[in-house]
Amino acid sequence: MKDFALMMIGAALVNNVILARFLGLCSFMGVTTRIDTAAGMGLATTFVITVSSMADWAVQHYLLDAYGLGFLRTVTFILVIASAVQFTEMTIRKVSPTLFQMLGIYLPLITTNCAVLGVALLLVEGRMSFIGSTMFAFASSIGYSLVMVIFAGLRERLALAQVPRLFAGPPIGFIVASLLAMAFMGFSGISTG
Amino acid sequence: MAWLEPEQTTSCHGCASASSCGTPGIGTVASRMQVRRFPLDNVDDLRVGDHVVVGVGDRALIQASLTAYALPLAAALSAGGVAEWLAGSDLVTMAAMAGGLALGLLAASLGARRLSRRGDLAPHYLRRAKPGETCGTNGERA
Repeated sequence: MKDFALMMIGAALVNNVILARFLGLCSFMGVTTRIDTAAGMGLATTFVITVSSMADWAVQHYLLDAYGLGFLRTVTFILVIASAVQFTEMTIRKVSPTLFQMLGIYLPLITTNCAVLGVALLLVEGRMSFIGSTMFAFASSIGYSLVMVIFAGLRERLALAQVPRLFAGPPIGFIVASLLAMAFMGFSGISTG
Repeated sequence: MAWLEPEQTTSCHGCASASSCGTPGIGTVASRMQVRRFPLDNVDDLRVGDHVVVGVGDRALIQASLTAYALPLAAALSAGGVAEWLAGSDLVTMAAMAGGLALGLLAASLGARRLSRRGDLAPHYLRRAKPGETCGTNGERA
């Protein structure tokens, strides 16, 4: 249990997908202008990363490893992720057309989010059990959502601040992102005691 | 009652290669938006082709996201955790998570129905759009 907790904290905070592994940077800069939008995107990505990691684990163990097809891993995972996104979209449309009207626009964008593929490939390197890999993927995506929401909050405040013209817009966004990354580096102290 | 169709403002429109690209309209965000229509109370004698500005509640997106994504995920992870604790087998855990996910989606369906009944997810009419005003020009959603 303690190992699980440490592994999840490490995946969410110490080795954060965005600030430590530099994955999913396009959505990090593109969808963080408002907190509710960032939270919506974060939750959608969390769902897709967790569901696709479950499918990826099964594919890796029962297909790629079993038949020596490891060289097809990247292509197969991309296919699994696209299928997971499509499944999610179809399910939400079926479950609630109203929800689909509100949230469906985010889903196609997740297919091209490199964080989803990055986490799936990290899981293979980790050689974990099914529950371990699912929890790792879930914690990684929670870390992704957390950073998205924090950064969106900072950008909402920045929009009201008086920023020199030279730095207005994306430049000040990148500076704030670098400060946020430095703040998250503080969590690395957890692993060294 | 009026039917509201969202304006098409996709990344395709801002792309430098938009004029030479043949893909817009086929499975793109634009084509998805076209089929996404919202019912709206016609309080201002709106006619077909009128441009309007609408808004949704501050918490609507968060509520919808929690219902659609967090609920099924929580159910799947809980079921998986219990199965792992009881059986300790990858196959059993996998089956339990799939079952939990299905139950969670069912719960999400019920939750979404409740939110829809209360009108929490519906867009509300704010005003008519000014001439030439497009989506995002003044920070509001249209």
